[in-house]
Amino acid sequence: MAAAAAALMLPLRFPKPARAQDFMSATDPGEFIDQLGQAAILHLTDKSISSEERRRRFRDLMHKAFNVPGIGRFVLGRYWNQATEDERQEYMRLFEELVVRTYADRFSEYSGEKFTIGKVQRDAERQNYATVFTTIYRPNGQMVRVDWRVRQEQDQSWRVVDMVVEGVSMSVTQRSEFASVIESKGGTVKGLIETLRQKVQGA
Amino acid sequence: MLAEFTPARPGSWAGSVLTGLAALAMLAGCATVPPKDSSAYQSYLERNDPLEPMNRYFFEVNRGLDELVLKPAAAAYNAALPYPVQDSVRAFINNLRSPLILANDLLQGEGDRAYVTLSRFIVNTSIGVLGLFDVATEIGLDYHDEDFGQTMAVAGVGSGPYLMLPLLGPTNPRDLVGRVVDFAFDPLTYIGGADARLARTSADTVDYRNRNRKTIEALQEGSLDFYATVRNASRQRREDEIRNRRPQPDPTSPGVIFEDDQ
Repeated sequence: MAAAAAALMLPLRFPKPARAQDFMSATDPGEFIDQLGQAAILHLTDKSISSEERRRRFRDLMHKAFNVPGIGRFVLGRYWNQATEDERQEYMRLFEELVVRTYADRFSEYSGEKFTIGKVQRDAERQNYATVFTTIYRPNGQMVRVDWRVRQEQDQSWRVVDMVVEGVSMSVTQRSEFASVIESKGGTVKGLIETLRQKVQGA
Repeated sequence: MLAEFTPARPGSWAGSVLTGLAALAMLAGCATVPPKDSSAYQSYLERNDPLEPMNRYFFEVNRGLDELVLKPAAAAYNAALPYPVQDSVRAFINNLRSPLILANDLLQGEGDRAYVTLSRFIVNTSIGVLGLFDVATEIGLDYHDEDFGQTMAVAGVGSGPYLMLPLLGPTNPRDLVGRVVDFAFDPLTYIGGADARLARTSADTVDYRNRNRKTIEALQEGSLDFYATVRNASRQRREDEIRNRRPQPDPTSPGVIFEDDQ
């Protein structure tokens, strides 16, 4: 089984065999983002795979390269402290599901976008944080600025904590939206969980 | 209610919009202010949106207009014109904005950017055939935008509360004043009249909608409260424009930092 899967993966891996596998061991934040980008293009943009398969691969990559628990907690903001343990777990599960469903399918629309790594800026005060500035070039000539906020874990590997697209932070936008939903539902995390569940089931 | 929307003066659409705005503000009222020291109050301050009920109403109006008018117009535009022609439309619109951008570059004390804007205008108007071809970008003079709202922001004027206006979209009192000032000082207003300016704004809007259709779809799809998403994202985008797309200057507050690391 594993051999068959490996054989199937082989032609896919051919273009950049070594680089795509070990983004987890990258010591430099810029190198990490570069390799993560290669891995995403390699594994997620294949037009022949099913939507389920793409979501499975996306989830896999996300768990490796993103600090999902940290992002989820950041996005819930001060309401994290109000939530019960059960609510936290349920929220995390649904938040992850929302992210997978929102972003995974986007990769099927890939049409030869290229990206370049620009400056890498380490935080002055916190050496375990850095921002990697990248530019994505669309085939129609449009450029999109994406700044990757990364954080170094205990095991020295880097993980993404935020994406800033043309100056708009995805984590901050999501946090503001969740706060708005919570306030409109009487200020409880329960209301957000209910809304998330409906969204995830409907998507 | 309907009578409120008839023009205050014949031919004055601005008059009718203002009357309608005033009527709706009274009708919808302001958002209720939660008691101080509550978590809801902190959230209320963060939203900075005291006219939220009215704003949400206009947001829905705009979404309706987007579905009925803008989206079809953008799709037709995309189908009718090949990419190079679309680029010429964009280049022409941008070139017409040059005098305004130059004035605001200078007001903000951005000498280098003013130089770029002036050079672009000269190159594109001459070699670029009245602005139809963006030759300047090819030789490394990249386009940037400026407006009087940004100039005021650089001078330290606060934005004021969030405003969602029919047709104009997300804004705030500062940027609204900025638009009026830009209108008054835009050479196009005097050369071509208000109609020419309206035509440029319309073309600008349709082209923008077309270029960003995928992004708008993606935002909408993953959203639980699209109004709140647009409110926050448009503010961040504006801040980014005001900073001239440079990274946050203060290295200690560059973005997301987890609570445990603070």
